[in-house]
Amino acid sequence: MARPLRRRARVLSNAQTAAGTWWLELEAPEFAAAARPGQFLMIGFGLDHLDAPFLPRPFSIGWRGSDGRIGLLVREFGGGTRRLGALRRGESVLLLGPLGRPFSIPADRRLVCVAGGVGLAPFLFLVPEALRGGADVSLLYGERSADRVFDPDLIERLTGLRAELFTEDGSAGRAGLVLDGIDTVDRPALFGCGPTPMLRALERLADDADLDLEVSVEEHMGCGVGTCQGCVVRSADGRWVKSCTEGPVFERRELAWPR
Amino acid sequence: MAPVSPPGGSAASLSQTVFGVEFQSPVLLASGTCGYGEEYSDLIPLDEIGGLVTKAVSEDPRPGNPPHRVAETPGGMINAIGLQNVGLDRFRAEKLPWLAANLRRARVLVNVVGRTADEFAAVVAGLDDADGFLGYEINVSCPNVEGGTLFGTDPGALSKLVARVRTATERPVVVKLTPNVPDIGLYARVCEEAGADGLSTINTFPGMLIDVERRRPVIGNTSGGISGPAILPMGVYLTWCAARAVSLPVIGIGGIRSANDALQYILAGARLVQIGTALFVDPDVAIEVHRGIAAHVERSDAACLAELVGAVEVAADV
Repeated sequence: MARPLRRRARVLSNAQTAAGTWWLELEAPEFAAAARPGQFLMIGFGLDHLDAPFLPRPFSIGWRGSDGRIGLLVREFGGGTRRLGALRRGESVLLLGPLGRPFSIPADRRLVCVAGGVGLAPFLFLVPEALRGGADVSLLYGERSADRVFDPDLIERLTGLRAELFTEDGSAGRAGLVLDGIDTVDRPALFGCGPTPMLRALERLADDADLDLEVSVEEHMGCGVGTCQGCVVRSADGRWVKSCTEGPVFERRELAWPR
Repeated sequence: MAPVSPPGGSAASLSQTVFGVEFQSPVLLASGTCGYGEEYSDLIPLDEIGGLVTKAVSEDPRPGNPPHRVAETPGGMINAIGLQNVGLDRFRAEKLPWLAANLRRARVLVNVVGRTADEFAAVVAGLDDADGFLGYEINVSCPNVEGGTLFGTDPGALSKLVARVRTATERPVVVKLTPNVPDIGLYARVCEEAGADGLSTINTFPGMLIDVERRRPVIGNTSGGISGPAILPMGVYLTWCAARAVSLPVIGIGGIRSANDALQYILAGARLVQIGTALFVDPDVAIEVHRGIAAHVERSDAACLAELVGAVEVAADV
């Protein structure tokens, strides 16, 4: 893995795109050049800032522009993410990254990206990269309800692809769970990112159909570079493995799944 | 002591002789926040600072605690990693060689943990003839495993443990004390009398964070250790208490994120300091604190850093 970059980056824009959801664009040309889909960065405010977020927060690199912009999908879960949602153009943040293991985009099969909620983020970056490489990609995106849905037009503008939208209450797109939209007949490769119950269901589906699946996991993180061992997930062989350096993307057979 | 000008000819000398060797800087990285050194080698110029203390090493590998292991608290963090580590054999085979090959001037202390005095002694005996480190930091103060503070809160057990480790090595033995005792000076004296070469004050404070919506502890281990800027004044005070109780060198730890913070520990009596949680926020903090201390010494009336150690002037004896 290349040496991570440590830079201050300027906020270019931060637009609220849905309830508690922002699309944050930063001027970070070196990150844009170095990042690969599935990698993340740590974003923080430095040591003079004792309010949340004091610790930097991990975010999937959610997109890159040809002009050195990167995009992050921010959803409010607490004080730290609320502060990130309140960022204004011209403010600056501290970035560390790109970090972690990226997705491995298959060359020989159709690819189905399954996104739950803010788990959409890595696919906004991955889908256009995969399309550019000639892959046959589809993007399934699920939310609880219409007010949470990240603007479908913006998704299309960023990725070049229209997402197939699902809401649990049927208030936008198709009613139901995003998993309902997966067609396994041609044995696609699956990529997943989203809440743990969604990833578990997706893993079961992949296991039943014997499909390859890579998931991007999320766990509380301290350092982002493997020193603190805070961000562990259970591996298939029963160890706690660091999601920052051994992940955040794992092949499903590497992880332990409850049965 | 005779201060030595550091390479590069900076006017202010931060160099001190501690534990019989030269420390080019008082700034070390704290155990548990810098892995085994290698993890931070791309981000921190490790060989330009005083050194580092490794993640705790136990005789056998330990799996660690279930997640969440870390969470933010006001002005800091809570952690309960549970001493996950590769164990003595792999540490010696895989981690020490990197330290031996890559650190020339920075000093390394190996943090040692055990459930029994025998286990502490076994780790020390198993490492003692290896290269790549100066001495040991004996961890009697981990709040995140059962019995982790057993030795650190029982003066009799602490005395026996330190004496036992003392017989197992000629290398420097530093004892990392818990803040969770009514009189840290007592524990400092116990360590001194049992043959310790130094003290590290302090480890984290036990704490708990509750997710109100889910009515569950945030941390998988239920409780954890609190670190970060929130604990700075407690660390400074307990370092002052420990340093005035003994003549041993003391390493000040707890909430340091600036040269000013580090200097508070030094004035309270610390010869060296360790930076921990702040590294996660900004890895540059280590070298910045080093430079900030140098700048302070240069503009102060002190000829060298050592003159500032314990130089706080208190109005009356308390």
